[in-house]
Amino acid sequence: MARERVHPNYVAIWFWLVGLLIVSVGVTYLPIPTRITLFLIFATAVVKAGLVALNYMHLKSERLLIYAMAIVPVAIFFVLWVVLYPDIAIR
Amino acid sequence: MAKTHIMAAGVETRTATGIPTGKMGVWWFLASEIVLFGGLIGVYIMSRLGSTGWPEMAAHLSVPIGTLNTFVLLTSSLTMVLAFAAVEKGDQKGMRTWLLWTVLLGLTFLVIKAFEWGSEIGAGFPLTAGGFWSFYYTMTGLHALHVLGGVVVNSILFLSALMGLLGRNEHRVELAGLYWHFVDVVWIFLFPLLYLSW
Repeated sequence: MARERVHPNYVAIWFWLVGLLIVSVGVTYLPIPTRITLFLIFATAVVKAGLVALNYMHLKSERLLIYAMAIVPVAIFFVLWVVLYPDIAIR
Repeated sequence: MAKTHIMAAGVETRTATGIPTGKMGVWWFLASEIVLFGGLIGVYIMSRLGSTGWPEMAAHLSVPIGTLNTFVLLTSSLTMVLAFAAVEKGDQKGMRTWLLWTVLLGLTFLVIKAFEWGSEIGAGFPLTAGGFWSFYYTMTGLHALHVLGGVVVNSILFLSALMGLLGRNEHRVELAGLYWHFVDVVWIFLFPLLYLSW
């Protein structure tokens, strides 16, 4: 069953998105190892994408079928990537 | 008997699954788009891992301009969802206002991107300047085409609303919004991949 549509505070979500944008750019100027910088900027990207999908695209209140339509192609992408990765890694 | 109609954004619309058919169609389309952009991003990551000199090339991109454009697109997602919220409240004027803001912010993104491309080409980095630049122009170009498509759709919705033609099709604002937010999500990943990963 579809859940009741949740209306989050859209402006508060926007503040979070802008805050995370500032964090992702800010960490590139910090004197920290590249691996940690990369982890932080992509972690913030994943959180930002999640905030948009869950709140602005209302995935929070969607049916399972919609989740499947969103997640299956993402899973296909990761499987293809993992399968092809050794071709680069062991070159 | 299966339900053939359902309420969406205050109006009755067709359904075969309990989900409005229009929304199902948009999600199917977005699923294909995930594969399109996902494939491109995946090949970019692998090519970058398997090549040398790409971080030096990426360092020529302007982080402040990329950050500004990300801010513009994130803000346009807010105005788009506010247009949808206005539809749900039956606030016609609010819907038109927020749709117009979304269109203007989309155009702003494209103008900034065009300026950025111009300065990069002017600095001696056209599409043919190397692997990184080929990916950069392909990915940002494909994304910009999607932004342009969204601007066109939102403009049609805005003009239809302005002329009183939207009528019982206001749920289309939600469908256009799903597409617009997806384009935003794609940029959320393109920005760190291209501008920050060096």
